[in-house]
Amino acid sequence: MKSHKWYFLVTLLVVVTLIASACGNGETPASAPEEPAAPSEPAAPEAEAPAEPAEQPTEAPAEEPAAEAPAAPHVLKVANTANITTWDPIKSFSTEAAYMGNIYEQLLRINPPGAAERFTPLLAERWESNEDGTEWTFYLRQGVKFHDGEPMNAEAVKASIEAAADHAGASFIWWALDHVEVVDEYTVKIVMTTSSPVDLIASSLYGAWIVSPKALEAAAADDGYFEAGIDAGTGPYTIESYTPDQEVLLTRFDDYWGGWQEGQYDKVLITIVPEAVTQQQMLEGGEVDLVTRIPQENYDDFRSNPDYDVIVEPSFFNYVGFFNTLHPPLDDIKVRQALSYATPYDDIIQIGAYGLGTQSRGPVPQGVWPWSPEVKQYTYDLDKARELLAEAGYPDGGFSIKLTYASENATEEAFAPLIKDSYAQIGVDVQIEPMLFSQQWELAKADPAAPETQDMFLLLYWPTYSDAGSDNLWSMFYYTEKPFFNLSYWNNPDYNAMLDEAIAKTVTDPEASQQLYIDAMNLLVDEAPGVFYFDTQAIFIIPNYIEGFQYNLNYPFVHYFFYELSSAQ
Amino acid sequence: MQKLEFFIRRLFTSIIVLIGVSIITFTLTRVVPSNPAALYIGPRARQEDIDRVTKELGLDKPLVVQYLIYMQDVLHGDFGNSIATKRPVSQEIVDRLPATLELLFVAMTLAVIVGIPLGVWSARWQGNSLDVAVRTSSIFGISMPAFWLGLLLQILFFRYLGWLPLSGRVDSDLRFTNPIDPITGFYLIDTVLTQNWVAFKDVALHLILPAITLGAYAMGLIARMTRAAMIETMGQDYIRTANAYGLPKRLITYTLALKNAISPTLTVIGLTIAYSLTGAFFVEVIFNWPGLGQFTVHSLLNLDYPAIMGITLFGAVGYIIINLIVDLLQAWIDPRISLS
Repeated sequence: MKSHKWYFLVTLLVVVTLIASACGNGETPASAPEEPAAPSEPAAPEAEAPAEPAEQPTEAPAEEPAAEAPAAPHVLKVANTANITTWDPIKSFSTEAAYMGNIYEQLLRINPPGAAERFTPLLAERWESNEDGTEWTFYLRQGVKFHDGEPMNAEAVKASIEAAADHAGASFIWWALDHVEVVDEYTVKIVMTTSSPVDLIASSLYGAWIVSPKALEAAAADDGYFEAGIDAGTGPYTIESYTPDQEVLLTRFDDYWGGWQEGQYDKVLITIVPEAVTQQQMLEGGEVDLVTRIPQENYDDFRSNPDYDVIVEPSFFNYVGFFNTLHPPLDDIKVRQALSYATPYDDIIQIGAYGLGTQSRGPVPQGVWPWSPEVKQYTYDLDKARELLAEAGYPDGGFSIKLTYASENATEEAFAPLIKDSYAQIGVDVQIEPMLFSQQWELAKADPAAPETQDMFLLLYWPTYSDAGSDNLWSMFYYTEKPFFNLSYWNNPDYNAMLDEAIAKTVTDPEASQQLYIDAMNLLVDEAPGVFYFDTQAIFIIPNYIEGFQYNLNYPFVHYFFYELSSAQ
Repeated sequence: MQKLEFFIRRLFTSIIVLIGVSIITFTLTRVVPSNPAALYIGPRARQEDIDRVTKELGLDKPLVVQYLIYMQDVLHGDFGNSIATKRPVSQEIVDRLPATLELLFVAMTLAVIVGIPLGVWSARWQGNSLDVAVRTSSIFGISMPAFWLGLLLQILFFRYLGWLPLSGRVDSDLRFTNPIDPITGFYLIDTVLTQNWVAFKDVALHLILPAITLGAYAMGLIARMTRAAMIETMGQDYIRTANAYGLPKRLITYTLALKNAISPTLTVIGLTIAYSLTGAFFVEVIFNWPGLGQFTVHSLLNLDYPAIMGITLFGAVGYIIINLIVDLLQAWIDPRISLS
């Protein structure tokens, strides 16, 4: 009997060992790097993540054997919700901008509204365009190095912009690019097929990073080249280590052209924390210095706390509701106007966003060009709504509409019922159908006129770069045969013509262009193919000991430019 | 020999189970009304890019062909690339597994070394206040949802008392002062191997709250099962005889009775390990624990179908192995149980 037991134990052991060794074959490079653990060495922090780029010129301080515990680096700790969908700066078109914005740089950066200058020169020191805005010359900063040691010059700019125009996530921002010309080592000329605001395009958060040509070549040969956490920018920080879904450790680039001063951070440790409640607890418990999201209902806790500054600013985002203008009775202007009057704007802002928002004036968010206070707004007026419905032939409402929203968006989830309640008061029944954004999107694109397609589509929108004319106004309401973001499927030739002209005049005659945009927006508000709910506001909680924070609404996904921040060590 | 035969038979049925699981998961992830290619490329993609990715991912082929291609790749150890992280799913699983296993191991160890003695004492002093306390607290452990218990513990031990860390596996400061060298990925073992005692203490402190949260259910269940089985066994003739002979109470309880009573508890332990793996989903999200559970939640929310497939298959294999081990262990401890 005993022997049988042992026989079994041995069998088990063999099986377990086999499985273990099979797993071992797939072992990650996590433990592969040359040195087999030198526990006694308190030296440079060892990267935990796989494969540090070999060519990265990381300087290891504390080399001397005599060195006792090296001076602790000045570390900024951040909890961020943002995941990394790619480390490829060309392909990047998502939340990783929070890191990209600190690692890479564009030719210029656009300043927040109210700043003395419209742009801050980054890799270009100055720039100019020809009369009609088709040829733009940029004079580059000299002596700038990429993190991989390559020099930043006109060739690098040309390679980066060509790569972006070819296969960036946001390649469409370069749709009018004709070619890029290297004039001399530090002068580059960007030639467009039509008048374009290249200063705005070149300062985009997506599709405008200047990247080391060597890395671009490597990425062309190997699609996944960047994904282990390799970077090749010129920015103040470089990736020291990266553990997917967990953390990103940035370390300062000693050769940064801007130089380094006392109080700036040597390292930035970003922990990826999807839960807002956890972020709040980490901030309150002192585990991190900065967070990117806490539950909206809890901001008041910080407003009354003298240890924090709570900063509220206009943002890049707004909420829009599209009426399906192909579905009767929504093809009737009067019905759409009635529904615009029947929208409880203030309640939507209070309940959907805890008061952090302002009613929109058309689809352009406040603070972004060509926003204007001259654009009209609807008021909440149920009598007016009933009147208009009666004029349209629906005296007691009596029809039903299907509204879709993205179920992952808590704000839409909170305010959609308010629309239902309010429309019910004028006899219009709303069926709310939450679905994942990707499903909502597909339904809207499949067959706009089909009865199963939505009647109303709630959307959170933001422009790709700081030109809401050629973006928001064009993308959401300009008619193209295959709709992109025009999910009202609205087609108004006057509007289209005004937009064409306004876009063409953006550079050559900005004032005329803005006036055209204002007229176009007022037409939009009159015709009401959509409801313009509210522009959101951004809110930041900054501990008192951190200095230098300034929010830049043009780069909403960056949240913080770490280089600007400092504190006493 | 009978056991070897049993082993082979189980292996065979396991393969059939795995094929079934893979078919069901594959079909489910594909009938969800969403386009994986559109998900892969992001929300603002142009149609031609979506078409290109559809081709690249082989999504233009019939579902059966897609399944066969997928299974062929799986047999070669290739679970495809995650849509969210763009890295191989197998790599993601291997990277995150140690964190989950370490948590699970500590939680289950806690559940067993606390749960079994509680059950035994409760049975031995049936009806007195200790018994009542054990029964109440085990019900509490079983019925309390993990996410709620986790939050309560966080508020109490982090926010108010400040005794224990809030979340994560290790304090972020340590990476600059006492970095952990990930040799095995099990931080408790790694820190011992490198004699990094500062980090060891920190890792242990970080484990306490999530382990209690994850282990509460198992602990309650084990205590109750042990109690019930012990009471039944203690009422049997051979125990009465032993009592009549005047054998020491300790010997009767722990050697004679417990050995016979432990069998159902063992089954329960096996099942709760598997159950706790699903509990780990909540616990890992609450404690920001960088393990498989958190990855699963992300994958589900992102409709990351290669990751969902990979995790499900991996989980199914784990479940089968645990069950097999429990069956074999049972037969070894209690020869009355026949494997056939």
